[in-house]
Amino acid sequence: MSSAKNKRQVDFQAIAQWVHQGDHVLDLGCGRGVLLEYLKQKKAIYALGVDIDQHKILNCLKRGVNAYQSDIKYFLNQLEPKSFDRVILSRTVDQLDDPGWIIQKSLEVGKRVTVGFVNYAFWFNRINMLIKGTKLNNETYPNPWYESMPSNTFSISEFESFCHNKGIKIHRRICYAGDWSKKQLFLCNLLSAYAIYDLSLNDN
Amino acid sequence: MNDSESFETNLDQGEVGFVDYHDFISNTPFHFESGGVIPQLKIRYETYGQLNAQKNNAILICHALTGDHHCAGVHDINERKRGWWNFMVGPGKPIDTRKFFVICSNVLGGCQGSTGPNSINPETNKPYGLDFPKLTVRDMVQAQSLLVDHLGVEKLHAVIGGSMGGMQALQWVKDFPDRVNRYIALACCAKHSAQTIAFNETGRQAIMRDPKWNEGQYDSEDGPFGGLSVARMMAHITYLSDIGLEVKFGRKRKQADRSREHFDVEFEVESYLHYQGRSFVTRFDANSYLYLTKALDRFDFFETEADKNSFEAIQASGLVVGFDSDWLYPPQGNRDVVDQLLRAKKAVSYVELSMNYGHDSFLVQSQDIFQLIQTYLTSQ
Repeated sequence: MSSAKNKRQVDFQAIAQWVHQGDHVLDLGCGRGVLLEYLKQKKAIYALGVDIDQHKILNCLKRGVNAYQSDIKYFLNQLEPKSFDRVILSRTVDQLDDPGWIIQKSLEVGKRVTVGFVNYAFWFNRINMLIKGTKLNNETYPNPWYESMPSNTFSISEFESFCHNKGIKIHRRICYAGDWSKKQLFLCNLLSAYAIYDLSLNDN
Repeated sequence: MNDSESFETNLDQGEVGFVDYHDFISNTPFHFESGGVIPQLKIRYETYGQLNAQKNNAILICHALTGDHHCAGVHDINERKRGWWNFMVGPGKPIDTRKFFVICSNVLGGCQGSTGPNSINPETNKPYGLDFPKLTVRDMVQAQSLLVDHLGVEKLHAVIGGSMGGMQALQWVKDFPDRVNRYIALACCAKHSAQTIAFNETGRQAIMRDPKWNEGQYDSEDGPFGGLSVARMMAHITYLSDIGLEVKFGRKRKQADRSREHFDVEFEVESYLHYQGRSFVTRFDANSYLYLTKALDRFDFFETEADKNSFEAIQASGLVVGFDSDWLYPPQGNRDVVDQLLRAKKAVSYVELSMNYGHDSFLVQSQDIFQLIQTYLTSQ
């Protein structure tokens, strides 16, 4: 497995662990539908992906994954509460307008929500900024600022205080070390490169 | 991160070439949803490709309001125009006739060979006219199902259609849940908006207020052609888009000389519409136009309680395609279909294509539609 693929699919196994057989799963920012295809194979889920990019939707259809071309906000507004067993936001949140609203709305339409994101407060990023004073340019951030889409980066500690303030319950959390593979068990905001969360509203 | 995958573009495309239509005649009385009955039913159709031994490769294509059974190929060497979806149907094309057995039939109530209001009523030996029973999209689909039976097809691989054809595709999966694997509905809606009904009614009034309509009793050589052509001209505008018309015609003038009569054709767009109106009356029947538009106005996919249960029964997986410049059946109407189906946990996808040709975009050859249909029909 190439390193890029490893990074892109780092959370697949963990995400699959939290999904039950036959669950109704909504993937917001589903891209090419690779995650949903994987979950369909592992857990026989009812899958739906949402993405704004027509070409990515086409890739989903090619995989046999049902997909809906739309702005995520519009789509969430069409759904009734608890429409899905699980809503997944894997490496999506930092590219959204109004991410807080989308996470909270996801918690209404899904019984559980998985959020996976790159921890911007990872020590290497801090040192890079301190020493070089530039935006990161590596495998995770492959493009220079003038070629990349706006990215609203954030850290584990910021995310957790958001959850706390909004009354969102964190059921489970997995933090990965800098190799995106070993689990990081302490000082996560400093030493973890990637994290995924299993969330719900407090009342479940 | 650019993780798009490339798609192969099939360069090995051919044509279906010469085709003939066939007539399927059922001598069993046909019962309409409204309770009306006709003693005999004729459905005109064409097929392309071969039905395989397992009989599981059949695709039914449903045409739009003024379309017909001739969707691919040519009838004879002098025919300049190919079938209405020729770019989509053929060897190596998205609806690949090397792989699929493709069926396209003229709708019940139409006027291109299938039984409709201008057919002869065997009981009176005169055209049905307004004695033709009240028509619904469900009736169209029931009639098609008899043809599909006749062709020996138990289950369709897919039902595909745009506009009225899309509504038929939806009706198919609702009325025959175990006879369709997948469906594609392009530029469609679950029901007409007030605006759409208003346009249709204006068209119908143009016909019915033409003295030659005569309560639907007219000679086919001398019908309400004035009314029908005005109805067509107006409807045709709703099939296009502001930007499409602007690009094609703008304010271009037909005649440099503007000294002629005040109200002669002056702009090219006028001339174009006149042509559309004139040519339409040579191929379309006014009563059919009334019946079909009314059937569309009545269509409401999610309407009654009984219907609600039947839409719960849908098994096929679907693809709905909206077009951003379509203001007759705008993207929102297409999305509404999908949103409702998703609430019922049905397997359905939605794609919105950006094209300039308004409602008729689905009839225009483009790489996007090409890839989309090809991908969906051959996906897992």
